[in-house]
Amino acid sequence: MIELVERIGSGAIAFWRALVELWNVYVSTVAGCLRALSRKNRANRGELVRQLYAIGNRSLLFVAVTLGFIGMVMTYEACLQLSRVTGEFSQVGTQLVRLIVSDFGPTLTAMMLATRVGAGIAAEIGSMKVTEQVDALRMSGVLPIDYLIVPRFVASIVMTVALAVIGSIMMYAAGGLTAQYSFGVNPNLFFDLHLLRLRHLAMFVIKAASYGAAIPVIAGFCGLRARGSSEGVGWATTAAVIGSSFAVIALDFVISAAALFVSGGDL
Amino acid sequence: MIFRRPVEAVGAGTVRVAEEVGGILVLSAQVVRACIPPRIDRRELVRSFHKMGNRSVPIVVLTAFFTGGLMTLQTGPFVKQLGATALAGWGAGYAVLREIGPILIALMFSGRVGANNTAELATMTVTEQLDGLRALAIDPIRFLVVPRVIAMMVMLVALTVIGDLVALVGASVVGRWLLDIEWSTMFHSFADNLKPYDFLHGIYKSIAFGAAIAMSSCYFGVTVRGGAVGVGRAVNAAVVAAAVSIMLLDFFITYLTG
Repeated sequence: MIELVERIGSGAIAFWRALVELWNVYVSTVAGCLRALSRKNRANRGELVRQLYAIGNRSLLFVAVTLGFIGMVMTYEACLQLSRVTGEFSQVGTQLVRLIVSDFGPTLTAMMLATRVGAGIAAEIGSMKVTEQVDALRMSGVLPIDYLIVPRFVASIVMTVALAVIGSIMMYAAGGLTAQYSFGVNPNLFFDLHLLRLRHLAMFVIKAASYGAAIPVIAGFCGLRARGSSEGVGWATTAAVIGSSFAVIALDFVISAAALFVSGGDL
Repeated sequence: MIFRRPVEAVGAGTVRVAEEVGGILVLSAQVVRACIPPRIDRRELVRSFHKMGNRSVPIVVLTAFFTGGLMTLQTGPFVKQLGATALAGWGAGYAVLREIGPILIALMFSGRVGANNTAELATMTVTEQLDGLRALAIDPIRFLVVPRVIAMMVMLVALTVIGDLVALVGASVVGRWLLDIEWSTMFHSFADNLKPYDFLHGIYKSIAFGAAIAMSSCYFGVTVRGGAVGVGRAVNAAVVAAAVSIMLLDFFITYLTG
């Protein structure tokens, strides 16, 4: 009995400490961004461009393919269900685009990026940590967070929003094609944006930007905590994938619930 | 030649993908072959069940709860606007059981168990422990890979069953607290609108997802090269491959089985 309490307690304490440490990394990252802005140094610009390319361009195909397929599946399921109940497809497209823009587009893009980008960042920083390159940075008077996490943080926010736009368009387009070829829905009826409001677009940007901010901070934090050798890097990468995927789902829930309160139950 | 570089890049990418898919298929064939006289190391199997299944329950339960809640949050206001709260469980439950539940649970499972497994096997490979096993005339596939593949497939199905239930609870809790839908309304809505087949459809998917996660994570684990950097890269490749195959399989299963 005492052992069980001890185990739960030590788990809770470890979790709380990790959370505090994560918060510290987040604050130092934001502070590093502000410092980099005020200093206007050119050294980091090349690194930023490199990270934009690594996070954005190299994830493009992955995001486009996965979200295209999921768009097809979602439309197919929705149409199948409607064909059993009413057989009336005029609402499918207008409701789907609302759901994609306010939730599924940014969230599923971020879930995909959490696996690809989160694992990549943690593997890279974790390898640097266990080969003592991070200590070398610190020795030469460079803050590891400023040098390693800040460019990835900025690049990830920009590129998550950009990829979410592309992913959502892919989802919607693939959905439209499925609806047309499998259920004979008129594309003019499907690609009808009149239910889309400014608040859906605001939701889209808020969600995509917060996921984009969360992923590199969590992955970088896991990478910097890597210890030992190759085993430590493996653990760090695993923790980064889990942490950032879960952060995406939890943030989605919190932001959606907050939006529900702000808008007073309105869509 | 201006076209040379893009053509080269596309060609190299295609060759690499073909190599990986081929490697995964060959490994799958070897795993099936190793199962034919079913001599599986029972201790390793039980250890894998515990490590991959039991210890993933908390993260799966949390994910499923939030997922169910989110589906109610997204469909609920629309249903309430139409005044048809009796249908609230329909949208949420249907989406959870057939699509979002199995997919998100599989993605979390791939992150927690698949990535972990790749890291473990990759560490064993780069520290030459696999060669050590071979030197002792122990087949690493039979001893290490087969129990993990079986454990992952069984445990993903089990976790999806638990996760589906938790997601429906999450949907009801969010419906009650944020949208004022009564517990009983939600329950009847689930009971009236969801068919056993909807649940089974999700389970079919999770069997396929489990196989895909297991094979890709073992493949990238045993083919890793080059120290700590290689291990990180292998884990990254394994989770990406698992995510892509989850989405592709989801599409084909939905399309083929309706």
